[in-house]
Amino acid sequence: MTSPKRLSQEHQRSLEGRLKAGDERALGELYDLVAPWILGLAFRILQDEDEADEVVSDVFVQVWSHIDQHDRGRGPLVPWILSIARNRSLDALRRRRRWWRKSALLEQAHAVEGGDIAPAAPHEAAVPGWPLHREVHAALAALSEEQRRVVVLSYFGGLSHREIALRLHQPLGTVKTRLRTAHHKLTEGLRHLKDWVE
Amino acid sequence: MTDWLGMLAAPRSPRPELKGRVLARALAPRRRWPLAAAAMITLAVGGGAWWAYRTIGTLTTERDGLAARVHALEDTVSTFIHGPATRLIQIAVSTGGRVGSVTIFADSVRHRWLVRCDGLAPNAKDQAYQLWFITDRGMATAAVMPMDQDKPMVMALEMPRGGGGGADERVLGAAMSIEPRAGSARPSGPMVFHRLL
Repeated sequence: MTSPKRLSQEHQRSLEGRLKAGDERALGELYDLVAPWILGLAFRILQDEDEADEVVSDVFVQVWSHIDQHDRGRGPLVPWILSIARNRSLDALRRRRRWWRKSALLEQAHAVEGGDIAPAAPHEAAVPGWPLHREVHAALAALSEEQRRVVVLSYFGGLSHREIALRLHQPLGTVKTRLRTAHHKLTEGLRHLKDWVE
Repeated sequence: MTDWLGMLAAPRSPRPELKGRVLARALAPRRRWPLAAAAMITLAVGGGAWWAYRTIGTLTTERDGLAARVHALEDTVSTFIHGPATRLIQIAVSTGGRVGSVTIFADSVRHRWLVRCDGLAPNAKDQAYQLWFITDRGMATAAVMPMDQDKPMVMALEMPRGGGGGADERVLGAAMSIEPRAGSARPSGPMVFHRLL
């Protein structure tokens, strides 16, 4: 595994500062850096290209209009953007679930939600942030199969603890324990990441 | 820290046209602000100009009206002062320990008087000066003049022509008394002056 090449702290501050100052070119630069990851995350959750595009658009609108709300002291910029992307995607997924419930297509959704996460193909390595992708995968791979499963269902499926327990036919307490343990391990495994890499 | 989990998903290359669409949508609200500000400024300037136009028009009309009135008054005064049938009567008066004067320009042709009062002491709150015509039929009120301020007073008065369609009353003189503020039908208060012409 190659060591991630981190974007300098100075560059990060500069980019964020320019965004906060309303520099439109900075938004274009940010798009080039993170759009593939936002799109990948949204597509992973939604499994629909058009909806994922819509999420990317929503995320950049929110980032641009609420960049002042990002407190640098509380965390790096990229995870903040990814959390926005996840929330937007899950919102879309919930809207779709409601529609599916009405049209009796829920089973189709289940097939999508249950899938595991595999690393991207090596030809994607030119995408900015690729080394970080591998680091996060390595942290996930360090979890047990059961822990990985609940993390994926929680993070990408947006399922509640109770829903995960029902899905996996496991007691609720077991699910909570697995999630707590998994989050602890992930926090430890990803603690060294400060922000964006290229 | 688990927000980094978003990086688990494989990256996807966005469709080329997506960037333009995304940036256009994201930047649109901020770009609208200058337009909105420009629109507001234009409206404010337009409104201000319209208000100024209206105000100037109103003031111009008012000024023209006042100028016409002043011109008419000048004509009237000039007629009184320089008319061949005008008599000038100046009466020295003493009110409240002050010496003043009442000047009467009496135009017997137009039956009008122009009266100017100078140096009269201001009245008490419930009193006023009342000017009288002295006629061959008695005293007829000419004007009630409350004086609240110490400044000259000028007025034009129509002389009495008599009632009941008979011959004109002959004005023999003028008098001034201090009366209740609403005026009196006959002189009842202290007399300021009584002068036969």
